Amino acid sequence: MNSRRSLGQRIGTYGGPVLVIFWTLFPVVWILSLSFKPESGINNQKFLPDSWTLENYRTVFNTPLFTSALRNSIFISLIATVLSVMIATVAAYAIARLEFPGKRLILSLALAIAMFPAVSLVGPLFDIWRSIGLYDTWLGLIIPYMSFTLPLSIWTLSAFFREIPWEMEQAAQIDGATPWQAFRKVIVPLAAPGVFTAAILAFFFAWNDFVFGISLTSTDAARPVPAALAFFTGASQFQRPAAAISAAAVVVTIPVVVLVLLFQRRIVAGLTAGAVKG
Amino acid sequence: MTITGTAAPAIGVPVTDRTRNEKRLGWKLTAPAVIVMLAVTAYPMLNALYLSLFSYRLTDPAAREFIGLRNYGVVLSDGLWWQTVFTTVIITVVTVAVELLIGFGFAMVMHRIIFGRKVVRTSILIPYGIITVVSAFAWRYAFALDSGFINTWFNLGDFAWFSERWSSLVAICLSEIWKTTPFMSLLLLAGLAQVPEDLQEAAKVDGATWRQRLTRVTLPNMKGAILVAVLFRTLDAYRLFDNVFVMTAGAQKTETVSFLAYRQMISRTALGLGSAVSVLLFLSVVAIAALFIKGFKVDLSSVRGR
Amino acid sequence: MVTIALLGTLLTACGGGESGVATLNWYINPDNGGQAELAAKCSAASNGAYRIETSVLPNDATAQREQLVRRLAAKDASIDLMSLDPPFIPEFAEAGFLREYTEAEARELNTGALSGPIESGTWDGKLMGAPFWANTQLLWFRRSVAQAAGIDPARTPVTWSQIIDLAASAGKTVEVQGNLYEGYMVWISALVSSAGGKILENPEAGKNVKPAIDSDAGRKAATVVQQLGRSRAADPALSTTDEEAARAAFQGDTGGFMVNWAYVYGAAQEAVAAGTLDKSVLDDIGWARYPQVDAGVPSRPPLGGINLGIGAFSNHKDEAVQAVRCITSLESQTQYMLKSKNPGARAAVYDNPEVRTVFPMADDLRTSLAEGAPRPRTPYYTDVSTAVQRSFHPPASVDPNRAPDRAAKLIVNVLKDKVLL
Repeated sequence: MNSRRSLGQRIGTYGGPVLVIFWTLFPVVWILSLSFKPESGINNQKFLPDSWTLENYRTVFNTPLFTSALRNSIFISLIATVLSVMIATVAAYAIARLEFPGKRLILSLALAIAMFPAVSLVGPLFDIWRSIGLYDTWLGLIIPYMSFTLPLSIWTLSAFFREIPWEMEQAAQIDGATPWQAFRKVIVPLAAPGVFTAAILAFFFAWNDFVFGISLTSTDAARPVPAALAFFTGASQFQRPAAAISAAAVVVTIPVVVLVLLFQRRIVAGLTAGAVKG
Repeated sequence: MTITGTAAPAIGVPVTDRTRNEKRLGWKLTAPAVIVMLAVTAYPMLNALYLSLFSYRLTDPAAREFIGLRNYGVVLSDGLWWQTVFTTVIITVVTVAVELLIGFGFAMVMHRIIFGRKVVRTSILIPYGIITVVSAFAWRYAFALDSGFINTWFNLGDFAWFSERWSSLVAICLSEIWKTTPFMSLLLLAGLAQVPEDLQEAAKVDGATWRQRLTRVTLPNMKGAILVAVLFRTLDAYRLFDNVFVMTAGAQKTETVSFLAYRQMISRTALGLGSAVSVLLFLSVVAIAALFIKGFKVDLSSVRGR
Repeated sequence: MVTIALLGTLLTACGGGESGVATLNWYINPDNGGQAELAAKCSAASNGAYRIETSVLPNDATAQREQLVRRLAAKDASIDLMSLDPPFIPEFAEAGFLREYTEAEARELNTGALSGPIESGTWDGKLMGAPFWANTQLLWFRRSVAQAAGIDPARTPVTWSQIIDLAASAGKTVEVQGNLYEGYMVWISALVSSAGGKILENPEAGKNVKPAIDSDAGRKAATVVQQLGRSRAADPALSTTDEEAARAAFQGDTGGFMVNWAYVYGAAQEAVAAGTLDKSVLDDIGWARYPQVDAGVPSRPPLGGINLGIGAFSNHKDEAVQAVRCITSLESQTQYMLKSKNPGARAAVYDNPEVRTVFPMADDLRTSLAEGAPRPRTPYYTDVSTAVQRSFHPPASVDPNRAPDRAAKLIVNVLKDKVLL
């Protein structure tokens, strides 16, 4: 009895983590392996390449479709993130700190909007964008991206801001600072880590967007990475270069991995803080 | 502070002033957020509502005609709509149920973990952060008859996964489950952390088995967290689009409601009919949320923090 | 709001030509660089009158149309030239997206072109898309398989039923495009035409069109689809097979027969040159006219290709016409056929000796192009095509007595906005 439990525990201690890591990394390793297969050997029906090549990476970096998409994705996601986090920081401060009617309503609104089906928005947005000239532009994606990055940021930041020792702000106010000054001089430095976390999460969401990306763009001018992956073309109209798509997929996964490696603790805190009080 | 603010008007001219200022400041600071949120969602949604009352095709603007609610009649009496609803519900139920199980297992692993805590938490965030389209391609190539290894590994010969409805759905669900289980497990992990440790100890002392402790102590105490996680994931799964687009493009009856709306709106540029589908998609998401909040009494105040 | 508007102008403003040279944006279907090469050549030849920049559209025809329609619906002035798949020309023309060629221009651009590409570029009596290259499908077969079965499709025309049975008993496949996409419509349309029928009775009637697919020809076409779908000669992944998957399977161990576009032979040659395909496979590839549905009735092979349209909202229409002249010249078409392995739209291309060495089947292509049948020419082509595809998919479950009827009803209802699609 006793020994069985300890065996079970041992499996739990070592087997559990190994299982989790296998689950999370297996498809990543697979796409990495695909990206090293030569285009002619992509159909070897094996997990690993028969021969290894870097050719696919050369191909994607010589494909304007991909390089411009990478540029679009980075800047569009960053701008949408920065704008949302700025607006959300101010709003979340008010929600965490001030008593005013309607603040619960604002949080509910943010939740409702975060759950909005993006597809419901693309039709009307397309119709509006084409008439005011925002179709296939950066701004034409930044605005819809804010439909999810903004509520997400408000949500995460409100949760973070509740944990801040606000007595320091009151102390500053007693010293004669206005609420705005107290906010800027005292609270901003304290809030910075939370703001940063919200920004990472918002960036992940913007980086992941596909629906707006394929619906509201049509050229290299604004097409983001996920849409470009779906439209990758080969040497003829009929070819779909699986190996090159895999290499491009690996390239766009690198920023995610880097962010996760650097800020693992923060991201976990941000994800759970927004959803469950903690 | 709240007591003086509301109950003592006689003393507090400066106090009410302060409350009024605070109120005004609160509105001022949240106004940009509210305006932007409404501008990017409510306005397009109203626009969709308006467009849905027309028979209107982008490539034939001259034939635009007001037809009232007829588009809704068309959608709701169409077998294709109900087929996509059915497909979407199946995908949602299967993925959320499986994710709940696996996610709970992962949460337990992470909760009890002694060894490799950081590595596990880092690796679990990778599927979460990866682009859904990338996940879809990875699984598509894994199952595909020409490039895939799955048939080789499991000795399935030339079984074409994407030629049948159910096997296509398996592949789609697997990609979705892989990508979103980490989110579920992190929410559940936060829930596990809320279960009081002394209750667990007391149950252990009383001789409760592992299973009894799980069903009597752990699960009841994290009911809120579970419901919130399920609600979030259900609403998310119901709008599934990316995986279907990449893996089957809706063939073999794997079309989801989002994909149907996209095709009417964007591919066919049937703005009227497509808007009706979009509005109905939106209403079904609202209905699901209402069902959870009223029916299962999901405590959103716990979501809101204190 | 002001800041948003300002930001808008900043972000939308992308480099326009500030010098005197007109920059023409040419939206091209993906190829191996052949169109980009022509763009560079013609820009240089224009002596500074214009400079062509190419922009690649997505892979499949439907997605290409989708991108263009969305931009043109936004009255985008940056679309000067586009490579158009012919079935979409009526829709674009009706919507006012294309600048029509004047009669003089049309006469010039059509001179020497094959009748098929001229017809598919013309709508309502006016040339909307100039013939650039033409495409058609042939029956490709493995000589070894045909020989073992004792047939020579190149000499004696074969029927679908015949090759399906032969392949099944030889343990080989008949490769077609069975995925739910435009390529599947190409197959069905060719089958219906070969059986002597049509998909639409009066395609020009627009919304009030009368389908003709619910006919003996439609049922015969569905019978072929069903026969292959249920045969051992079907690719295991028939219902997801596109041109490239078909080509890969045809070049593999189980390859027997295949219907596919003209590019496949050139692609196989390139694979041999790159060392990824055995030379013996290339030598084993034979070709013949598209299979018949009824024995003895000549088949009507599918037609495709690209016509060049000029954007109705372009600011450089005159330069665009000049560019079209250069891109569609005999010399350019020959160069393009050699580079991209896509057949030219002018008859004389096929007499070029170099073309004839790279395309030993040049004469078969020309015949196939002359006697092929276009897909229905209607402004509602996408809906008609999708309706047919969905009614006939997946191939294995097609019921010849019901699929054509279902397709006919779906077409009528979809065009009247009575059902979703």
